[in-house]
Amino acid sequence: MPQRPTSSLAACVWIPLFPLRCEEARREELATHPTALLAPDLSRKLWQVSPLARRAGVRPGMTVSQAIGLCPTLRLCEPDPVHYDERFARLLAALNEVSPVVEPEELGLAYVGGDGLEGIFGGPEKIVEAIECVVRGSWCVRLGWARGKFASWVAASRAKPGEAVIVPSGGEGKFLAAQPIAVLPLDPDTHRRLRQLGIRTLGALAALPEEAVTAQFGALGRRLWRLAAGHTVEPVVGGVAPEPIVAALTFFTPVGERDLLERALDQLIARALKDPRRIGWRVQAVRLRAEVEGGRSWLADILLKDPTADGARVAAPLKTRLEQAPPAGAVTRLVLELTAFAPGTTELQLFARDAVAAARAGQRRALESAAREIQQRIKRSCLYHVIEVQPWSRLPERRYALIDYEP
Amino acid sequence: MRADRLRSLNVPRPVTVVLDENGVPRSVGDATVDVTLEAWRIDDEWWRLPIVRRYVEVVLEGGGRLVLFEDMTTQQWFAQKP
Repeated sequence: MPQRPTSSLAACVWIPLFPLRCEEARREELATHPTALLAPDLSRKLWQVSPLARRAGVRPGMTVSQAIGLCPTLRLCEPDPVHYDERFARLLAALNEVSPVVEPEELGLAYVGGDGLEGIFGGPEKIVEAIECVVRGSWCVRLGWARGKFASWVAASRAKPGEAVIVPSGGEGKFLAAQPIAVLPLDPDTHRRLRQLGIRTLGALAALPEEAVTAQFGALGRRLWRLAAGHTVEPVVGGVAPEPIVAALTFFTPVGERDLLERALDQLIARALKDPRRIGWRVQAVRLRAEVEGGRSWLADILLKDPTADGARVAAPLKTRLEQAPPAGAVTRLVLELTAFAPGTTELQLFARDAVAAARAGQRRALESAAREIQQRIKRSCLYHVIEVQPWSRLPERRYALIDYEP
Repeated sequence: MRADRLRSLNVPRPVTVVLDENGVPRSVGDATVDVTLEAWRIDDEWWRLPIVRRYVEVVLEGGGRLVLFEDMTTQQWFAQKP
C-alpha cells in the first residue's frame, strides 16, 4: 500500500453553505431571495438557510410550516447531494493543480498541503494567491494559512472572502490565543461549562494547567487544551491515486466478430470498475490491448473527456475505435487497463455516501427530467409537491398543501 | 418551489343535504343515505373566528362512504375527507 503524502503546512479552503451556494450557482434568482434547502433525509426539515432567510428568523432544523410562517416569500429547494458532490469533486480536482496533497473534510471544506510549495510559488501569500486563482471563479471562498489543520481552519473562519488570513510560522500560539473558544470542536454542553468557568478565549484555556483541564473534562479536555495551546499540529493527509487496474480475458478460440469483442469488453470494464482500489476515483484514461492471431497486436489508448465511473461511458469510445479501426485478425486475448484516475465519483459520491440519499438523488433527477419534458409539451407546470403545513390541525384542510414543483 | 403558491388540500366541497326530522342526513345531492355511522363535533379557534362543525359519516346507497359536516355558524353542508 503506497504511503499517503502529508503536509504540516496547511491552507484551509472553506466555502460556507456549500450546498446552498451550488443551488444559487445554477439558479441565479435564488441569490436575491430568502432561500432554504430541505434536509436530504426524510425529516422534511430545513438543512441550510440563506442569510436573507436567517434575517427573517428562519433557522436550520425548522419545519417547512414554521419557516413559511416566519417568511412567506421563502424559496424552498429540494437537496441534490449528487450535484453537490460533483461540484465539490471538481473543486478538489482544481486544488490538486496547486498541490498534490489535498484532504477533503466535508462538503465545502478542504485542506491543501503547503509543504514544498514555496519552491514553486514563493511565500505563503503567493501560494494562497495560487489557490485563490483556481477556486475563486464562482465561489465566495474563505482562506486561511497556518501550520496544522486546526490553526488553518481557525484562520479561514476569521477570513473575509478575498482576504485570506495567513498565520506566520511560529505565530500560531499568539494567533490562537486571541480566538474565542467557539472555534474549538465542542459539544454545546462543554461549551457552556467552559463559559461558566469564565473561559472565553483559547488563550484563557491554554493558560490553565493541562492536567487541570484533563481532570475536569477528561480526554476531550486534553485534546482541546493541546489544540488551544497550538501543541497539536495535525498534518494534511492527501489521497493516493491507485495503480493501473488490469482485467484480461483469454479466448479459447480466436474471436473475430465485433459483437463478441464488444461483449467481452463490457465484461472487462465491469470487472475493472468493481475493483476495490477504484473506490473514490473516476476513470480518466483507459487502454485496451488485443493479442491477435499470428503474433500481432492491437492497441487503443483513450483519454476520457469527463472522468467517469460509468461502464457505458468508459466503453463508448473503445467500441467506436473497435468499429472504426478493428484488429487486423482474430483476437486471442483482450486486456483492459484503467490507467489514470480523477478524485471523486458521481456514482460513489464522496459525502452523500449512503445508498438512500443516492437513490433519492437519482429519483429526483429522473423526476426533474420528466417534469421538464411535461413542461415543454404542455407549456405549463402541472406537477405539485404535497407538504405538511399543520399536520396536527383538527381541520383537515389545514394539514397538507400543494406547492408548485419547479425542478 | 415558492412558499407563496400554497394551495390547500382537502378543501371542503359544498353539497346539498336533506335532513330528516331528527337532523340526520337523508340524502346528499341525488344520492340517498343508507346508513349513518359516526357523528362528532369540532370547536376550534374560539379565540378569533370560531369554527364549529358537526361531522357525520354516512354510507350512501350503493356502498359509497362520505364524510359530511355542517358549518354550525352558517348552517351550510360540506363534504370532506376526514
